[in-house]
Amino acid sequence: MSGVLLWGLVVSAVAWAEPPATATGTGAPDEGNPRVEASLVVDTSQVKPGESFRVGVRFRMDPGWYIYWKNPGDSGLSTQVSWDAPGVTVGELRWPFPSTFRTPDGFIVTHGYKEEVLLFAEARASQQATGSLTLSAAVDALVCEQRCVPAEILLSRTLPVGAETVRDAETTTAFDAAQAQVPRTLESSGISVALALDEEKLKTGQPFTGIVTVSASDGKSLPAVEPDFFVPERIRGITRMGLTSEAPGRFRLKGDAAPNAPKEAPRFKGVLRLGTAQTGYQSLEVDLPLAPVEVVPVAAKAPPPGLPLMTPPAVAAQVQAGGAAPGMSLGLALLFAFLGGALLNLMPCVFPVLALKAYGFTRMAQEDQKHVGVHALAYTGGIVGTMLLLAGAVLGVRAGGHSVGWGFQFQEPLFVAAICAVLVAFALNLFGVFHVGADGTALAGKVDASSGVARSVGEGVLAVVLATPCSAPMMGAAVGFAFAAGPGTVLAIFIALGLGLALPFCALVLVPGLAKRLPKPGVWMERAKQLLGFALLGTAVWLVWVMGGLAGVDGIGRLLAFLVAVAVGAWLYGLAQATEGTRRLIGVGAAVVVLAAAGGFALRFDGVVPTARASALSAAQPWDEAAVAAALKAGQPVFIDFTADWCLTCKFNERTVLAREDVRAAFSRHQVAFFVADWTRRDERISAKLGEHGRAGVPLYLVISPSAPERPEVLPELLTVDIVIQAVQRAAGPSADAT
Amino acid sequence: MKRVLTAVMLTAALGVAGPAFAADTAEVGKPAPAFTLKDEAGKEHSLAQYQGKIVVLEWTNPDCPFVQRHYKADTMQNTLKGFDGQKVVWLAVDSTSSNTPDKSASWKKGEGFTYPVLVDAEGKVGKTYGAKTTPHMYVIDEKGVLRYAGAIDDDPRGKNASAVNHVKTAVDSLLTGKPVPAATTEPYGCSVKYKS
Repeated sequence: MSGVLLWGLVVSAVAWAEPPATATGTGAPDEGNPRVEASLVVDTSQVKPGESFRVGVRFRMDPGWYIYWKNPGDSGLSTQVSWDAPGVTVGELRWPFPSTFRTPDGFIVTHGYKEEVLLFAEARASQQATGSLTLSAAVDALVCEQRCVPAEILLSRTLPVGAETVRDAETTTAFDAAQAQVPRTLESSGISVALALDEEKLKTGQPFTGIVTVSASDGKSLPAVEPDFFVPERIRGITRMGLTSEAPGRFRLKGDAAPNAPKEAPRFKGVLRLGTAQTGYQSLEVDLPLAPVEVVPVAAKAPPPGLPLMTPPAVAAQVQAGGAAPGMSLGLALLFAFLGGALLNLMPCVFPVLALKAYGFTRMAQEDQKHVGVHALAYTGGIVGTMLLLAGAVLGVRAGGHSVGWGFQFQEPLFVAAICAVLVAFALNLFGVFHVGADGTALAGKVDASSGVARSVGEGVLAVVLATPCSAPMMGAAVGFAFAAGPGTVLAIFIALGLGLALPFCALVLVPGLAKRLPKPGVWMERAKQLLGFALLGTAVWLVWVMGGLAGVDGIGRLLAFLVAVAVGAWLYGLAQATEGTRRLIGVGAAVVVLAAAGGFALRFDGVVPTARASALSAAQPWDEAAVAAALKAGQPVFIDFTADWCLTCKFNERTVLAREDVRAAFSRHQVAFFVADWTRRDERISAKLGEHGRAGVPLYLVISPSAPERPEVLPELLTVDIVIQAVQRAAGPSADAT
Repeated sequence: MKRVLTAVMLTAALGVAGPAFAADTAEVGKPAPAFTLKDEAGKEHSLAQYQGKIVVLEWTNPDCPFVQRHYKADTMQNTLKGFDGQKVVWLAVDSTSSNTPDKSASWKKGEGFTYPVLVDAEGKVGKTYGAKTTPHMYVIDEKGVLRYAGAIDDDPRGKNASAVNHVKTAVDSLLTGKPVPAATTEPYGCSVKYKS
């Protein structure tokens, strides 16, 4: 430390020994060129003892160079003026309202003055003053452009003492101009400022918000503001604080309490400038108490010994984001896939099938364990087999050079139509219009083992087919991983998914005793079965709606016509089942003909225009990289919703979270640019973007901060209001356009 | 729910009992962000390799007058000399966009210090840590937790005969098992000249 001391002394000595001090001096020599010129000025040419005058230092900077305000901001050093004036009492330094400077990336924000500024103070000559007064000022400033150069300048001048105080017209104008820029206290400005904090206490290390209301005591309306209208002072315990304008006179306060904020209430302290270049400015000094501080302990657990000291950020990011594919191990991906598959059972798409299975199982539970085991195996086999088919399809399409994703088959109208038909037929079957199985003996209540097994397989297939549009949590990452990996991995992941999907039903079978808890069969089962039929019809309604997005109103019409034909076919088939011999053959034949003809006429979806769908989210724009870049450049946070009509998770999130009033309000408050990337139909650009984030399907939610566009935040697949609002707040930063 | 589950699973997959994930921004009291950077001689340094030692990070820029003042006064070298070299590692980091390993090497030679100067011309590590000024100091404890962030001392203008060296206070506290009295202070100096 003695070195520092020595250095300090040397600097001081050099500065103070620069004789003779004059009223004007230069400093910050940069390549032989001083970057700042300072002059000591007073607003009088003569002063009467006991009277007051103004004394100040006028700084003139080279173009582009600036000095700092009393709170320099993130870097720099406040400008310091120390007075030495025997026989004169000099008051506090007055600071005109400062400019705010930002680095191009917005990372470092500082406050100060470019070109020219007069920093001044009120002074009073003593009653005993005679002859002339000597005024000296030692200036210590940091002058910066790209680089910074310190300036230490000693200034001195004399002021004659006389019988009258004589104003100097020229400098008085300069002082008055500077005075007009100095923020006034609230008492002297006739303006009141109120602060309503959203929290009762500030929590250490956590953000806080509130509303600042400014009103004129004479009830006059207040002018609008320009950017950087609020500059906070440096406040102990507050790391960042800023205001955003919501309406004239109404501002949103956002800040962060420091992890070591002192307990006594920190203050909301800074300068506020109302008005614009057109209306003229009015600057105010604001100083209000915030709230007491509550200490929130930070949990900083040490890693256990033997582990690498730090988890690589990639892994940490995954934990935050709920899993991003790059960097994930195969074992982890398989685990994700398995659990994701199990969770799929709870999703609205699969639930009807599961209910159906549980119902069928109730019947079987009365039989011997062997049969039940066979059914469980068949169901699992159906699921895994279909998963493998799906994997094969993925590999095939990918080999063909197309990019595909989870749920891609719902981008194909014919597929949607086929699934719809299966659902309707299934429902009619449950209503008892026709029966599946070799003969009508099943009616007698005896379960035919072989047909039952076929049915179990079919249910497994249906479960998978319906599951795909519901992306369960965690599955996104696993499937994304699979889609980016080799064929072996793709197959392994899909099998794991299938096993997960089959898990709950198998658990029911394989855990002894669990099955016995199911209620006994009876008439209720017939009713339950019919009820489930309606659930399946409900699922079909959803698919019809999906068809609207794919193929428009015409597509819906054709699909419904086809579904009617399916119903007719099922009815004919049912009639045939009740008869014998040739009539039966004729009945089945007629059913097939009706289906084929209707299918041929109805299922042509080429060239139809999809219905433009009103989004649940007003103010949404279609996603486009250029528009995103433009919004970020304009300083707006960006939210991108990757969605598809057939993705139930997406729709659920949109209706329950993204369309909510408070979420919309948060979006408009932070001026969030909201983009929708609609993947209902195949779109290579969107597929590629999903791939960038390690995903193969929707939903995907990205929040991009204008201050860190290269690091978008990936939100979880199931959104909550808090998750969205907090992410948007983080992206906007605590001082979006204030500090 | 999901996040918890994911964390639990990840933990299970790694086969460990208590997770301690590195944060993606630096916050005092939380694990310091991991990094790997090359020094002026091309040698790689990662935070993980200094597990078990106290690590002092010094954001620097030889062109900044504040850094020049401290090097003229040997502030950094003297501070480091006051510690047990077996227990404390000092790493200078230069996030200046125009910096090169050669520039750092010749500066190091001219000043005659021995600790590495990590080259972060892309500014990624600097921004992760939130380094705003040169100098801007960070102290990380033996377990990888950030314990101090801020100025080297309480004397921005270099005129105080009895300036308090915050880094010395922080490291001495950690070595004696005490909490750091001022865990954050306002850093002062030039702005870090990040790539933009």
